[in-house]
Amino acid sequence: MSDEAAIVTQGLTKSYGRVQALRGIDLEVRRGEILGFLGPNGAGKTTTIRCLLDLIRPDGGTVRVLGLDPQADPVAVRARVGYLPGELQLDPNMTGQEALQYFNALRGNRADWSFVRQIAERMDLDAGVPVKNLSHGNKQKIGIVQALMHRPELLLLDEPTLGLDPLMQQEVLRLLAEAQAGGATVFFSSHIMSEVEAAAERVVIIRLGEVVEVAETASLIDRALHRARVRFKEAVDVQMLANVPGVTLLSQDEDTSVVLQVEGEMDALIKALAAFPVLDFETQRPSLEEIFLAYYAEAK
Amino acid sequence: MLVEFKHTLRRLRGSMIGWGIGLALYGLLMVALFDSIVGIEGFEELIASYPEEILAFFGDMMTITTPKGYLDIYYFAYMTVVVGIFAVGAGANLLVGDEEKGILDLVLAHPVSRTAVVWGRLLGFAAATAAILFVGWLSWVIPAGGTGMNLTWIEFLRPFFPLFAVLLLFGTLALLLSLLLPSARAASMVAGGLLVANFLLVGLANINPELQSVVEFTPLHYYQGGDAVTELNWGWLLGLLAVSVALALLSWWRFQRRDIRVGGERGWRLFALRRRARAEREA
Repeated sequence: MSDEAAIVTQGLTKSYGRVQALRGIDLEVRRGEILGFLGPNGAGKTTTIRCLLDLIRPDGGTVRVLGLDPQADPVAVRARVGYLPGELQLDPNMTGQEALQYFNALRGNRADWSFVRQIAERMDLDAGVPVKNLSHGNKQKIGIVQALMHRPELLLLDEPTLGLDPLMQQEVLRLLAEAQAGGATVFFSSHIMSEVEAAAERVVIIRLGEVVEVAETASLIDRALHRARVRFKEAVDVQMLANVPGVTLLSQDEDTSVVLQVEGEMDALIKALAAFPVLDFETQRPSLEEIFLAYYAEAK
Repeated sequence: MLVEFKHTLRRLRGSMIGWGIGLALYGLLMVALFDSIVGIEGFEELIASYPEEILAFFGDMMTITTPKGYLDIYYFAYMTVVVGIFAVGAGANLLVGDEEKGILDLVLAHPVSRTAVVWGRLLGFAAATAAILFVGWLSWVIPAGGTGMNLTWIEFLRPFFPLFAVLLLFGTLALLLSLLLPSARAASMVAGGLLVANFLLVGLANINPELQSVVEFTPLHYYQGGDAVTELNWGWLLGLLAVSVALALLSWWRFQRRDIRVGGERGWRLFALRRRARAEREA
């Protein structure tokens, strides 16, 4: 267990009755990194995040957040963490401003209010409106502001861009990058793979309460399956290409066009293609979404 | 704890205003009617002609023409049930109401202990209840000088203490039940049902002495009502407060160990939802 880690969980388990939500989560989030936490609904993302804040108690395993045990010292952990729940709910009778003041009071009025105003302006948030009159996206903006307002060391964000328009999604990603630049660690879950791909240095993929992959985002994409479309000047024997190690023939069109799937590096395929009259060669880099879906396809 | 105390008072301000106005209007009306009612010729004979069971159910109704009896029968005899609606509703929703709405999740993600949340909110609830009763007291004591109700301010005040203790007891009972039952609504209904059942049981025990042995184990047996005008039964009052504190401690203990639910997780459907989630996982 590294002392440098912002979050460490080992063998984290949690059941709701007979439903096993977490089946031994081993996780390490390094200090200062942005880590994306991926998984479909019910995979255990929210349960894991809520265990980190002692909102729910794990059945087994250990948790350390910023070197502290959240069960033994929950207040100290929460003082250093900014949290955005996946299903944000606020007191409908408060205005956004009152909600932020209440959260700040719970933090001992630690927030620099000029910084709060600055984030609110960037988020285009009208804090004077009662929460009950706000759209989901505007409530989400309050959630973002309250999570960032005290400049936490660790941000735990469950679907931070949920309900926001694309411009605001970009602004949130910029805020997270700035928080990271200021020394914060960001641990966030998302369903939007493109934003995870853009923001996260590493990703953790969770499936049915278990971590199935932890990797650098770039390397995960690099070592995943690539697709290559090749067009030839004349008909060729494409079976020769299919025999190249790591290459699978996905489709062909009258022996003059093929779509191949390549596992790992392209080198062997390109060398094999040198023997053919190639008209056009196009490769497709898989998106994180395709990789993510592939994990779930394997599971099925 | 102070933040949660103030927050609770703020959130209950609507209830305080509503219940305060309601109690004040009723108190003012009853004070204004005192001279007229006790002055009705043959009123005592009319009361005496009521069936024995009715007279017994409401206690000593023959004292209705005295300020103490009037205060007891027209106000304190059933204020436990009336203001009890506020107490059980507020108690049941103190923690679990916010939990069911999904609000508590974010509150407890802040650097505030569960202990501070429980006691801050409980103190806020107690202060709100006291404020409502204070308005009720003012509505009697201020206009009473112009009537034949020759009671001092302290005599008007004394019966409000046992009433406060009973409301606190049923409020904390509702809080505890909300942490045991699947929803705040279920807790309100059960606590409210127990309050009404206790009220009826006390009245019936006045008719049927055999019920006395049962009623002795219920809180309202130790509620003085208007009898407290002349002297407080400190043993009963402290006993009611002690039970409230015990219920509050049990609630605190229960809340310490609780997995905070996210919004929408509530009610008896919770079990069905979990079964469905399990089936989906297995599929």
